[in-house]
Amino acid sequence: MKATSDIAIRALGLTKRYASGRSERTALREVNLEIPAGEFWTVNGPSGSGKTTLLGLLAGMIAPTAGEVHLGGRCISHLRDSHRALVRRHAVGMVFQEFAMIPGMTLEENLHLPRVPEGGPRRADRDRARALLDRFGLTALAGTRVERLSAGELQRGAILRALLGDAPILLLDEPTASLDAENVARLLDLLVGLRNEGRTLLATTHDPRVVNDPRWDGVLRLADGALVS
Amino acid sequence: MRRHLALARFALGSGGRRAGRTLTLTLALALVTAAFSAVLFLTEALRREYRLGVGLLPDLTVQRLVAGRPGLIAEAHARAIAAIRGVTRVEPRVWGYYFVPALAGNFTVVGADFAGPSAGVNPGVVLGEGRLPGRGATGEAVLGEALAGFLGLSVGDAIELPVGNGSQRFEVVGLFRSSVALWSADVLLLSLEDARRFLQVPEGEATDLAVRLSTPDEATVAAGKIAELVPGARIVDRQLLDRTYDLTFDTRGGLMGAMLLPALAAFLVLAWDRLTGVGPGERREIGVLRAVGWKTSEILEARLWENLLIGAYGAGLGLLGAYGYVFLLGAPGLREVLMGWSSLYPAFDLAPAVTAGQVLVVGTLVVVPFVTLSLVPAWHATTRDPHGLLRGTT
Repeated sequence: MKATSDIAIRALGLTKRYASGRSERTALREVNLEIPAGEFWTVNGPSGSGKTTLLGLLAGMIAPTAGEVHLGGRCISHLRDSHRALVRRHAVGMVFQEFAMIPGMTLEENLHLPRVPEGGPRRADRDRARALLDRFGLTALAGTRVERLSAGELQRGAILRALLGDAPILLLDEPTASLDAENVARLLDLLVGLRNEGRTLLATTHDPRVVNDPRWDGVLRLADGALVS
Repeated sequence: MRRHLALARFALGSGGRRAGRTLTLTLALALVTAAFSAVLFLTEALRREYRLGVGLLPDLTVQRLVAGRPGLIAEAHARAIAAIRGVTRVEPRVWGYYFVPALAGNFTVVGADFAGPSAGVNPGVVLGEGRLPGRGATGEAVLGEALAGFLGLSVGDAIELPVGNGSQRFEVVGLFRSSVALWSADVLLLSLEDARRFLQVPEGEATDLAVRLSTPDEATVAAGKIAELVPGARIVDRQLLDRTYDLTFDTRGGLMGAMLLPALAAFLVLAWDRLTGVGPGERREIGVLRAVGWKTSEILEARLWENLLIGAYGAGLGLLGAYGYVFLLGAPGLREVLMGWSSLYPAFDLAPAVTAGQVLVVGTLVVVPFVTLSLVPAWHATTRDPHGLLRGTT
């Protein structure tokens, strides 16, 4: 086992049950995992196996029924909701399958959404956003309303937003779900590049183009809410 | 501060992104605000006008009751009343009502002695056109604006009125100015002699006695002494009239306000429906904000700003609309409801009177419940699982 300081993401007995009428449905049961800092892991499994729930729990978006989540050595499971929100704002960059962009706002406005409650983006945030837009090939689209962007452009925008806060951990939910082969290859190159910069990445996927890529550092497999390997 | 401004700017954008919802709520709020404000503005403006009128009334009005009804009073009492300490002037007045079947109502006939106390009246202040009846002249009349309009008369025209068993021809020599229409709209002003003949008030008697006091606050004391001097007298205190007007307008304004309550309730139901029926787009937006790290309190503050802005726009529009409706258009439809005890309504311009208190009342009644209501569904949505909100499963 690695030392606590070397583990970026740790889950201990993580369980999530949802009430379904009078009965309960277990979405995730007793999951224990450790993702070392600076590595790139995937979570595979069929639809409904609990991948997205696992990511939601790791990001502090969902409160676990049992178990704990530690990010960078800090337990976030017992934090108040407002403190978990700050974890999402500063410590974890999350990329959602649905991109989580607000229609009617431009791409740039969406990128700076996490900064609004702090008084809006400062000059350093804008400079960093410009640099990332350039790196992701999105500079020309910064002022475009997000509903006019393609799925590939939205996906890159969502990753860009996750990186903007300089979070050391990136959680990605089905990042290639709506991309063509060319964009998948570009995205994987991008993610590997981020790993090489020292970030920890965990991506859920059941896309064989991603599963079969040899550049991952580790793979977790979920089936029926339980970790099978 | 920077933080709050950023949230307010975001809220402004949110309002623009949901233009349909914003517009519907703003218009509904403006409509309800306008209705309530119009009643408040009109009530207050009328109350002010009538207070001005009451200020011109005598401190005490002495009438004699005969069989429980006002009868004529002997002018001789005036001398006895004038001797009471604190009484500065006693003026016998001759006035009464004349029923016009075509009008299905009365107009007021007033006699004035232009050689007596009424000689001080400045015609330029009260007359819009023509002149007052000449001293000692008979057969001359000044008409209120509404009465002249109803009879289709203007200066120089003549009117035949029944006097005793016969009739008398009166020439219209003047018309009252519209600014004094509140007191003169239905008035037919004649010389004292003509009024006595027309109303059949014999010499030595009067309709009532107008009493002026050096200290109006001691009206009750003076009224007690007058009651001892004039058995069977009814003494009307001006301060009592003042309170009566207040009560009248409070009651009428209150009734109108109460009638508008269903409109307010309907609006709140609409607002509740629009706000609790948080659409999938709005729910998803809350999910996005939660997902990117907004706290519940920050989302609620943004919603508070958004609905405060809608409330401010709506209330502002409503207040402006009510101001225009009451003070520029003259509150057609509503004015008659609040004033209506005469068949001839005075046509006068209401002096604009908007107080901070009125704006506060409107704000409390309309904007505060609206903004408070809006926070409930937003809070409800923020307590949901953000993942579910994003995916549209909660």
